[in-house]
Amino acid sequence: MKMILHDLSQQEFEALYPSVDANTTVISDDGAIRHCVGCFGCWIKTPGVCMLKDGYQGMGELLSKCDEAVIISQCVYGTFGPFVKNVVDRSIPYILPYFVMTNGTMRHKKRYKNTFDLTVHFYGDVTEKEKETAKRFVEAMCVDFHCGKHNVYFHEDVPAEGVTK
Amino acid sequence: MKIAMINGSPKLGQNNSGIMLKLFEPFIQAAHEIAQYTISKEPLTQEQYLALLGADALLFAFPLYVEAIPSHLLRMMTALEKHAKREKKQGLYVYFIINNGFYEGTQNRIAVEVLENWCARCGFRFGMAVCQGAGEMMPAVESMPMGHGPLKNLGKAMKSLAEAIDNKSCGEAIFISPNWPRFMWKFQSHLFWRNAAKKNGLNKADIGKLMDNQHAAD
Repeated sequence: MKMILHDLSQQEFEALYPSVDANTTVISDDGAIRHCVGCFGCWIKTPGVCMLKDGYQGMGELLSKCDEAVIISQCVYGTFGPFVKNVVDRSIPYILPYFVMTNGTMRHKKRYKNTFDLTVHFYGDVTEKEKETAKRFVEAMCVDFHCGKHNVYFHEDVPAEGVTK
Repeated sequence: MKIAMINGSPKLGQNNSGIMLKLFEPFIQAAHEIAQYTISKEPLTQEQYLALLGADALLFAFPLYVEAIPSHLLRMMTALEKHAKREKKQGLYVYFIINNGFYEGTQNRIAVEVLENWCARCGFRFGMAVCQGAGEMMPAVESMPMGHGPLKNLGKAMKSLAEAIDNKSCGEAIFISPNWPRFMWKFQSHLFWRNAAKKNGLNKADIGKLMDNQHAAD
């Protein structure tokens, strides 16, 4: 399964993806998302599922079925825009609370056997320093989520093409 | 000097960022006028944003969320950038206390870069950051003497941060882990999760629950 997470307007997204196949799940901003409140309920009360029932509580399960994820986000200070970062923050049910050591530092242990490749398309006015931060950020995030391969691309404006393959 | 302390934790009630701000306050000169802000429940008002821009220094404390800044704080920082540009407010000194749940303080390094980039966008001065690992340890150690035992590194770092704020100067980010063995922190953390789950009627196997018959990691 493929997941596309984006912060584009509906019109911008449809211009980019005129059709989406049944094997693809699209996560977009419906205005209802709540921010993670740090309750850890997704680890110790309803393991694997976020406690906030706003339509974005199933990110852990969705990622467990993915072999490919695409993120299209405004680049904000070298990280994602607030909506995309919000969804990523709400995706920690995908991993376990337990720690493992990876390259000499602690990380959270994997919950699921699957692994997904990640492609990130950043857009907007981005400085060279922000680009370097963004690359390091995605690389580190891939370690957190135990991703496979990852690629990062930068676009000066909202991408109109070249992100659909 | 007017110092605005912004608790950037998303948690309502007691949180590690709040504990760290409380522990930090005695380090700075008593003459400072301190205003406290939280953003966990409601976004800041227009008046509060203007009050932040009217301060001499800002001190943010927040937990690391997926390598960077929690999304609600990121929203607040983008809004503050807009206000700063509208009000043509530049040169504000900004300081940070970041904690993460892992052991190594160095895991806050990318967040520091993001903050430096934010300061550059706003025209603010990146003052200094104290970046602590094992932030979840704070409730257990907050009553211990600062600068001793597990808080030895944190005490030294907070002293440096306080000197920087008192003098409105800039310095390098300080990355620290607690003075406590890493294997113990790992062991205690795992015990904590099992006990917390047990209070909710769950056992060790329940913590590893899989959705929709998916396969467990090896």
